[in-house]
Amino acid sequence: MGFLALSFLGAVLDKKQVGLVACSAVGLAFLVAFWALTDLMNLEPAERIGHVEVLYPWITSGKFHLDLSVLIDPLSVFMLMIITGVGFVIHVYSIGYMNDDPEYSRFMSYMNLFIFSMSVLVMAADFFFLIVGWALVGLASYLLIGFYSEKRSAVLAARKAFVMNVIGDVGMVVAAYVIFQNFGSLNYVDVFAKAPEMYLPNSDAILLITFLLLVGAFAKSAQIPLHTWLPDAMEGPTPVSALIHAATMVTAGVYLIARCSVLYELAPYTMYLIATVGGITAIFAATIGLVQNDIKRVIAYSTMSQLGYMFLAVGIGMFGLGMFHLMTHAFFKALLFLSAGSVIHGMSGEQDIRKMGGLMAIMPLTFISFLIGSLSLIGFPLTSGYFSKEAIIISAWHAPMGNIFFWGLAVVTAGLTGFYSFRIFFFAFMGKQKDPNAHPHESPVVMTLPLMILAFLSLIAGGLGHDVLEFLSPVFGGHVPPHHEDGLLEGITLTLGAVGVIAALGLYLTDEERVKFVKDMLLPVHEILYRKYYIDELYDFFLVQPTKAIGKFLEEKAERQGIDFVVDQVAEKVKETSEGLSQWQSGKVRVYALNMVGGAVMILMFLVFY
Amino acid sequence: MLDIAYETVVAVVGITAILASIGVIVCASPIYSALYLIGNMTCLALLFLLYNAEFIAAVQIIVYAGAVMILFLFIIALLGAKKEERDTSSLQIPMALSFVVLLFGELLMAMTVGKTNPVEGKFSVDFIQQVGSARAIGVELFSRHLIPFELASALLLVATVGIICLAKFPLSPVKRRTR
Amino acid sequence: MGTDFILFVSASVFCIGATGFMIRKNPLVMFMSVELMLNSVNLLLVGFSKELNSLDGQIFALLIMTVAAAEVVVGLAIILTIFRTRHDLDVDNINTLKG
Repeated sequence: MGFLALSFLGAVLDKKQVGLVACSAVGLAFLVAFWALTDLMNLEPAERIGHVEVLYPWITSGKFHLDLSVLIDPLSVFMLMIITGVGFVIHVYSIGYMNDDPEYSRFMSYMNLFIFSMSVLVMAADFFFLIVGWALVGLASYLLIGFYSEKRSAVLAARKAFVMNVIGDVGMVVAAYVIFQNFGSLNYVDVFAKAPEMYLPNSDAILLITFLLLVGAFAKSAQIPLHTWLPDAMEGPTPVSALIHAATMVTAGVYLIARCSVLYELAPYTMYLIATVGGITAIFAATIGLVQNDIKRVIAYSTMSQLGYMFLAVGIGMFGLGMFHLMTHAFFKALLFLSAGSVIHGMSGEQDIRKMGGLMAIMPLTFISFLIGSLSLIGFPLTSGYFSKEAIIISAWHAPMGNIFFWGLAVVTAGLTGFYSFRIFFFAFMGKQKDPNAHPHESPVVMTLPLMILAFLSLIAGGLGHDVLEFLSPVFGGHVPPHHEDGLLEGITLTLGAVGVIAALGLYLTDEERVKFVKDMLLPVHEILYRKYYIDELYDFFLVQPTKAIGKFLEEKAERQGIDFVVDQVAEKVKETSEGLSQWQSGKVRVYALNMVGGAVMILMFLVFY
Repeated sequence: MLDIAYETVVAVVGITAILASIGVIVCASPIYSALYLIGNMTCLALLFLLYNAEFIAAVQIIVYAGAVMILFLFIIALLGAKKEERDTSSLQIPMALSFVVLLFGELLMAMTVGKTNPVEGKFSVDFIQQVGSARAIGVELFSRHLIPFELASALLLVATVGIICLAKFPLSPVKRRTR
Repeated sequence: MGTDFILFVSASVFCIGATGFMIRKNPLVMFMSVELMLNSVNLLLVGFSKELNSLDGQIFALLIMTVAAAEVVVGLAIILTIFRTRHDLDVDNINTLKG
């Protein structure tokens, strides 16, 4: 199996110009992941965990030992299946979507880099390589979001995403340091084996570690307060939005918490924090999603909201359910994004839903897949979203750590979800065509085929629920989470979802007057939501403006009168000195070599005599 | 008796290596430098042989004394073996010499420290002689050190691509930026 | 005699190589000096490999040879290109990086 992993990495690293090669690399990776899956299925459940394949013993330095190794267990294989599977479909789709882009090959190689980084992240067997993958994923997403480098907003969005992610990275690195201090190892197997013996629940070290890891998870998965990068990240090409911001990257945070479930079970306080933030993010993002007009932004907010659900699930200890929702969400959200991309492609780049309309007849395949995606998103009975989301909502009440507060957040969000997803649906596909200049057309088959595959998966994946939970259970302490039956709660959720849909129907399908009336009535609320609760402005107000103000003050008082004089004098002297020194900078290789050897001599002198 | 002969050979070869390397840097003409370098490498190959590393010795001869030095000679033939003029004006040579003397002294000091916490491996002289140097290295290289090996091959590939780029697309003459 | 002698030879060759790199002006000879330095490290690795009964040193030496080969090839190609554009082989005259 070591070879298996190696061939896998090699396959993904293989960057070629042609989309075909890029796709086949990811396809091959998928097959390998599938092979690993069947291998694991053949083992007894108890034997399935902790297959660490050491590829190369990398660094051994005193107590610190680092292997280049991969971890193969149900959780990592499960994530690999999703990443490579959905990734493959999206690669095929981008062949069509990016077809006329002059920098097609650059795009494909970034996409491959992303899949590779993500695989490193999930297959890492220790925290070190987790961080390596984590940072690589951040880099790949930076490159992809900023892909339209001539667009200023895209570059800014990419930078924002990168900075937010780096906040998370710092949390991760410090967490790894604390883990190494406490456990003397960075290896998952060692750490997870030692943790329950060494620490009582809620002891300081565990709380610190889990909290620091949480910072990383929140940044990557766009949870409050580190969420602002995700909607802006929609500046990237649509396949990127689908790949990164729906199916894979943002789920890394959920994966991280699920992976460290042993640690988190020791820290109930942190668990409560996760669940609370998850629930609040869910409802928060859903309300913002109600009023946005950019089709991709709405879906982005819905992604945040669904991620909130996942965090809620892992926060109440239902790790398996969180992962299950992660899977179904990957399917239907990638489906939604790709359908939206198909719409945008068909409308020649138009993203404003107010200018769309009447696309049902023109783009039937996209219409059907978008419908399936939306139904799945709102948890319509028997679609995949129904099984995973419903289970989470009911667990929010019934699970040992659940309570009515979490349930309330979840269930209200379900209603809002129904409203906003059908709002864009009605806007885009129903009604009359609003922009007479647009000439929408159906997308080529290379784009619709992935849509159909994902639609099919979104419909049937729900039935796999029990199998998934059972497959993952060895990682989470060996028990399958109990299935809660509660017809009443389920009924409430469904009713609320339906109410949302019907409200959207009533509002947007009838006449514009009524929309206007409601909008006017709720104007202040609408404004707040449209401005995304002024979070960006808050950041600006509390962080950027004070910094600027301090800067201005210093500039006027201290700078002009005090420092400038000194600085001018210093500058003069420095200039004189540096003119002398620049003689040294002769540009001659040999002189540089002389200096280098001189430095080496000094260092060695220190080492030898000290 | 055998031991003394062995020690003598080692000493002679080692001192020849040092002398040859001095030859490399004092000859004014690059062609002589190259010949001395071949001599130095052959001596090192002999030392490898005496120190129980037959495979590395063979590689040393083939890769260094063979391929790399032939390349050097080609380039010298191509560019012409002009003698270079010494620079007499600058501080470069005295500075360099004093640094190197310091460096050498420090290295000698470091040698006197002795072993610190050595980790003994399993490949004793007897063992290697039993299975053969090439075989022992091969087994190690293709099992424990497979990834560095693959990376080295990737490096060679990259170098090949690099020189093709250099050879195929000649650079335009350097224009100095005026300040 | 033994490892100490190897250490001595290695240190000497290394220092001589460093000197050559600093005092010569012909880039080809400078490259040869770099080769000397790399080779002296190889010698050290092989010596310790025997001393410690471990093959890791020899494998490192092998990898150093690979790197050195790649470096020589690229370096000589660069020298060739410089010569083609400037018709001059004195490194002191190549000072575009002067500050």
